[in-house]
Amino acid sequence: MIKRLISGGKQFLGMYPPGRRVKVFPDDIFLVSYPKSGNTWTRFLVANLAYPEKNPDFSNINALIPDLEVMPKREIERAPRPRIIKSHQYFDPRYPKILYIVRDPRDVVLSEYHFDIKRRAIPEDYPVQQFVSRFVRGEVNHPYGSWAENVASWFYTRRDDPRFLLVTYEALQVQAIDELARIARFLNIPEDAERLAFAVKQSSADRMRELEKKQAHLWSSTKETRKDKPFVRSAKAGGWKVDLPEASLAEVEAAWGGLMREIGYELVVSNLAHAGMERH
Amino acid sequence: MLGQFKYAVKYVLGRDQAGNNYTVFPDDTFLVSYPKSGNTWVRFLLANLIHPNQTIDFTNINQMLPAPGVLSKRFLRTLPRPRILKSHEPFDVRFRKVVYLVRDPRDVAVSEYHFDLKKRYIGADVTLEQFVPRFIAGGTSSYGSWWEHAASWIAARQGNPAFLLVRYEDLLSDALSETAKIAEFLGIQAGPERLQEAIDKSSADRMRKLEKQQADQWTGTKNTRKEIPFVRAAKSGGWKETLPAHSVEEIEVAWAPLLNFLGYQLQSHELDCKTVPAWVRTGQSL
Repeated sequence: MIKRLISGGKQFLGMYPPGRRVKVFPDDIFLVSYPKSGNTWTRFLVANLAYPEKNPDFSNINALIPDLEVMPKREIERAPRPRIIKSHQYFDPRYPKILYIVRDPRDVVLSEYHFDIKRRAIPEDYPVQQFVSRFVRGEVNHPYGSWAENVASWFYTRRDDPRFLLVTYEALQVQAIDELARIARFLNIPEDAERLAFAVKQSSADRMRELEKKQAHLWSSTKETRKDKPFVRSAKAGGWKVDLPEASLAEVEAAWGGLMREIGYELVVSNLAHAGMERH
Repeated sequence: MLGQFKYAVKYVLGRDQAGNNYTVFPDDTFLVSYPKSGNTWVRFLLANLIHPNQTIDFTNINQMLPAPGVLSKRFLRTLPRPRILKSHEPFDVRFRKVVYLVRDPRDVAVSEYHFDLKKRYIGADVTLEQFVPRFIAGGTSSYGSWWEHAASWIAARQGNPAFLLVRYEDLLSDALSETAKIAEFLGIQAGPERLQEAIDKSSADRMRKLEKQQADQWTGTKNTRKEIPFVRAAKSGGWKETLPAHSVEEIEVAWAPLLNFLGYQLQSHELDCKTVPAWVRTGQSL
């Protein structure tokens, strides 16, 4: 009862993060991705592009591009418009304009593994293979579904919509300037070469690592986590080729091969390459 | 401000309407569909199947096969588990076990049009032809467009053993075997007699009679135009007579891949296979 009273009071004052119940305005832009898919990097890129004068870092990123699972409802509702909002949510028909970041699930699973150790969701000696099996079954330590549920729910409903822009983490790695130019066009921000280069420089993994060292205690996602494990980790694509056990690789590809291929991720477990297609 | 305060009080007492903000349990089963796709009919079917000794009608259907949106969180928490709940939500990852009921969108458009007239969501002067583009854009429902709804569920869950796709049309043409399929999925032991009884008790005629007597006692029909019925044609393919050719074409051009995947034959337009997503071509799980 006491708990409910406190929570009722917070409801009344709008002091809770709205999450899936966020009020959506027609001019909103959502920066959406599955967790561990480069959302924070993209947030820095976009914040540096849209608000360079604010000098975005971990201390103000939540104010510049609010996270609807962290910022209180009333602050999100009062944010200057048009708002750019960060989200990990699966399909929501109300989101009007969406920048969706997708990353190779073989890298996502490793990143999630290390992040879950950092935030003490799993012990440090948790077997990777077991983690991957649970990841593939959608048994994850967050409410955003399995990788395929999240990606497919957006990709197949909105991919032909001009108000949906799909950017892969891997393309951002290879050609950050070009991809950021696409994003700028999508957001109606002038594609000034200097401004793009500046945003990419300000959001480099090295700079973000330095900021993390100084500001980890100021940011919601790193505040109460193990400080011996970095949030900005390898910041590379293809780490799975070295670190993901063969059996786990096969498991991911067997489960999600069709969707992966459609997004452009090559499958490597050859005897499984066609399994997905012929199963039915 | 006052409204917010009232809500906060209701919230503390657990009497606030749940909306889609209620606790979902891992053993819940959801009967999900886009609006106007036969959800109420199947609710009656299942309620009659599960409670063969009770009279199911519009006065108790919200309790017998609950619609969380219009019930209090407290009521939902006290239901015996495993619960079976009705929903019109597009893909929701919390719903682990789902019967997804889908209906030909050309019929859904016609049904929604009449329902929106009944509910006074649209003026009596709006024509079906004017209504269809808004329907396609998802502007006639808070649950997104028909395409978004069906694609979000099918893309995320097709092939998952805890997902059962049922076509309204199959349920109409072969009620017994489709109902048997649903019963098996839900783990309900029922022989053909009990199945047939549930089907008979949920017939369109019986539901029409109940509606006449009880329209004021059900959230779906209360405060609506009574001269327009809720249980309307209860048929498939009505669009062939009532939907203007131009509107048919608009729907088919917009949604051909999914219509094709679901086996709804196109009338106006050859399917361009390049636009078809892989999961539609192969029906594979993702």
